[in-house]
Amino acid sequence: MFRRKRKASDFGAEIESHLRLETDELRDEGLSEEDARAAARRGFGNVTQARERFYESKRWLWWDHLWQDVRFGLRMLTKSPGFTSIAVLSLVLGIGANTAMFSVIEAVLLRPLSYIHADQLVSVFSLWERGGVTMPYSCSPPDFFDWRDQNRSFSSMFAYRTTESALSGRGEAKRVRVVIATAGIFSTLEAHPVIGREFTAEENRKGADHVMVVSYGFWQAEFGGLPDAVGKTIELDSEPYKIIGVMPRDFHFPLRGSDAYLPIGFDDKVLTQRGAHFLSVLGRLKPGVSAAQANGDLAAIMAELRKRYPDKDGKWGVRAERWSRALVGDIRPALLVLLGAVGLVALVACANVSNLLLAQATKRQRELAMRRALGAGRSRLVRQILTEGLLLAIFAGAASLLLAHWALLGIVRFGPKDIPRLGSVGLNTTVLTFTLGISLVSALLFALIPALRSSTTEVNGLLKNSGSSSPRAGRSRSILLVGEVALSLMLLEGAGLLLRSFVGLRALSPGFDPKGLLTLDVSVPDARYRSSLALEGYWDQVLGKLGGLPGVTSVDAVTPLPLSGDDFSSSFSVEGRSIPEESQPSAELRWVTPNYFRALGIPLAKGRTFSDADRLGGARVLLISETAARMFFPAGDAIGQKLRFGARGGYEGNEGEIVGIVGDVRHFGLDAPIAPTFYVPLAQAGMDGATLVIRGQASPAALGRVARRLIQEMDRDALVGEPVMFEALLASSLGQRRFYMMLLGAFAALALVLAAVGLYGVISYSVEQRTREIGIRVAMGAARSTVLSMVLGNGLRLVVVGLAAGQGMALMLNGALKRLLVGVSTTDPPALLGAAAVLLLVAILACYVPASRAARMDPLVALRFE
Amino acid sequence: MSTQERERLELLQGTLDLLILRTLIFGSQHGQGIARAIQQTSQEELLVEHGALYPALGRLEERGWISAKWGVSTNNRKARFYSLTVAGRKQLGRETTKWKRLTAAIGRILEAREG
Repeated sequence: MFRRKRKASDFGAEIESHLRLETDELRDEGLSEEDARAAARRGFGNVTQARERFYESKRWLWWDHLWQDVRFGLRMLTKSPGFTSIAVLSLVLGIGANTAMFSVIEAVLLRPLSYIHADQLVSVFSLWERGGVTMPYSCSPPDFFDWRDQNRSFSSMFAYRTTESALSGRGEAKRVRVVIATAGIFSTLEAHPVIGREFTAEENRKGADHVMVVSYGFWQAEFGGLPDAVGKTIELDSEPYKIIGVMPRDFHFPLRGSDAYLPIGFDDKVLTQRGAHFLSVLGRLKPGVSAAQANGDLAAIMAELRKRYPDKDGKWGVRAERWSRALVGDIRPALLVLLGAVGLVALVACANVSNLLLAQATKRQRELAMRRALGAGRSRLVRQILTEGLLLAIFAGAASLLLAHWALLGIVRFGPKDIPRLGSVGLNTTVLTFTLGISLVSALLFALIPALRSSTTEVNGLLKNSGSSSPRAGRSRSILLVGEVALSLMLLEGAGLLLRSFVGLRALSPGFDPKGLLTLDVSVPDARYRSSLALEGYWDQVLGKLGGLPGVTSVDAVTPLPLSGDDFSSSFSVEGRSIPEESQPSAELRWVTPNYFRALGIPLAKGRTFSDADRLGGARVLLISETAARMFFPAGDAIGQKLRFGARGGYEGNEGEIVGIVGDVRHFGLDAPIAPTFYVPLAQAGMDGATLVIRGQASPAALGRVARRLIQEMDRDALVGEPVMFEALLASSLGQRRFYMMLLGAFAALALVLAAVGLYGVISYSVEQRTREIGIRVAMGAARSTVLSMVLGNGLRLVVVGLAAGQGMALMLNGALKRLLVGVSTTDPPALLGAAAVLLLVAILACYVPASRAARMDPLVALRFE
Repeated sequence: MSTQERERLELLQGTLDLLILRTLIFGSQHGQGIARAIQQTSQEELLVEHGALYPALGRLEERGWISAKWGVSTNNRKARFYSLTVAGRKQLGRETTKWKRLTAAIGRILEAREG
């Protein structure tokens, strides 16, 4: 296809043969050999033109030209390795950063979820409307069934919750990830067991629910993939479950997958508890139904429910959101802002290369003028420069993949674990297409101005004079430089704002001192410790034994653990206040051992903390946090008040008297608001799981190992988690913010480097151009300091214009960062001034080097310079 | 050289193709032979710059109306011989009819008298 049909040499041979035949004939007519040859040529006309016309009539001429341009371009690029390497390096940084960032976007936001027709899956959740604030919330079983049975938008819907259970009775207890779901899970996700059967709606009833479908991985690991696993019975949390099916190998739900899928054993009571919000709900839209239609449908159902059950559903709404979107809620806008930022880096890189090309084009003016004089068309010269640009971009694009690969390794390794699918980033086809695309687009961007500029050069003047730069090219370079500085300032300011916000959050106290504390999840199968008394005894034993270990200073227990992501809240009533049930306040509940507050350094503000005497059978007591005291007892009369929890489906049947007020703890992370909290003695509650908080001298790993062995010696079926340092939990609570800050910081640093290189290049170049002029000035007696400040001033004037332009753009665009900032406004002066100062400092350095070179110039050498 | 003195007619745009096709109806011929044949058959009235013949030959070849292959001329010279294809024969028919209608029409206009 790319070969011409007929070679030019073949055509040449034909013309030769024509001339020969004609010569023969003319000679036969009586002319001399010499005359005949001349006449034949005359008769033919312009031979060269005929050849050229033949050449140009062929369709693949453009290919020939391209090929010529490419070869010539490669020669030019290798001829000036300095220019080429700086240009390619600039582009590698710009394109590499974009490729890496786009990979993240692709994996987290764009890649379809791995379910059949995943775009039809929507997450349905309750909305809790109170005091003008709406918050997404879990759903209650009766609400779920009403939605499922009355809607017209969904082909199928299911409710589920995830939990962890202990796989016991098979050697040492193991932790398995369990999804407990209604039978609709299979039809909604359009995934069915490869072996055995799925569970049915009948098995969603209490009593019939001891069956399980296992994941492919679990089946392989526990049963070696043997088909007779189906039908076997295994123990989860010391209760028997019969395996009825195995899911396909590529089925993972939720995203990270689970080991087992169990039916929800609803009993009659929970089916009436409209206030018990603990379920997640997923639905599959009917084909052609939009999320908006589904929302309208559900809202109508909910309006009816609100009317029918004003006490339970009165304050609740419902919302449906595409599951793919719901999974990345806050992450999506943050990543999009970062994508925009990395686009700016690419622009800076393009401006840089454009500048280099302009400087290069000035050096090549004579060559280009010569080509024009010899008959090269304007379009041919434009094409030549564009081809060279494409070559640069393609080299850079290929090399940038390496940079992106390394960046992605770092992101997978150090990125936050709570961004879904971030771990699956990779340079796949989509990403490679993007890289190719952005390489081509940037080639156009950076090569267009130099290409057009070089083709308009005036041939005559250039061939005659020595080829100093035209003022117009100089102006283009200045504008590009101003643009680079402006874009870099925007990125630096963004990075500065995120840094300020992050540092501010880091400086916040979580309300306790996590230093040196080890946390360890422990749970026991509650089937065997049915009474609170037995559990109380169990925890006493655990704490006692671990506390007796050498090197252990203190052992305490809490549930739910601050910063763990778990929480527990309940509504409550205050004795002596009559408040209707549905408007009762709600607060967080924590169960702790007496010494917990001292071990974590949570200060006691008033009253007393728990003592060893606060046990089962003793008077029921409570502590409350300062925020809770302020919110619920503004008169300062908290101590002595009697509370009762669980009027609205939360923690049922607990009550107690407030005996003290303790300091606030940022349970949900440093960037989350402080929630009002109540504390209950663990000994009075009978919990089957808690987190141990251990302080000791031994290394965390060793301590974790010893603790695990001790606990499992006491009870083989006890489940012991991985030991985690409390400080690590604190750090990971800011993981996403750190990630965003690092990325934007990296982008800003890249832009800064690129701008500095650009500035250096332009100033060096202008010094070179003005060598003669500077030489004359020095020869006429200009002081070196005058020369220095003149060159420096020229550069810094551009920088100042760039800073002003950048500041203007930043004021318009920094609003995009608002969602990523906590406690810092988008016009935070230290961040903005700091960014400008850093940029100015780097700019001065970049200009100083060529300026001082100019100042040291020997006038004699300079005057002879040509 | 008698042919040089008289002013010869330049070809109308597009007529060269027709002449080439017509010339080849008598059998395959090389470029120089075609040029000579056109000149001689027109009794030296037409001016054919030999160099202009080849783009026309290339065009006809590309359209599939003539085909070419290398051969040996009557005086033992290597030459590229062109011959008419079936499609070329049809094209010649069409073009000839068209040309005849055109010249007849133009002739009628030029011959026309008032009244």
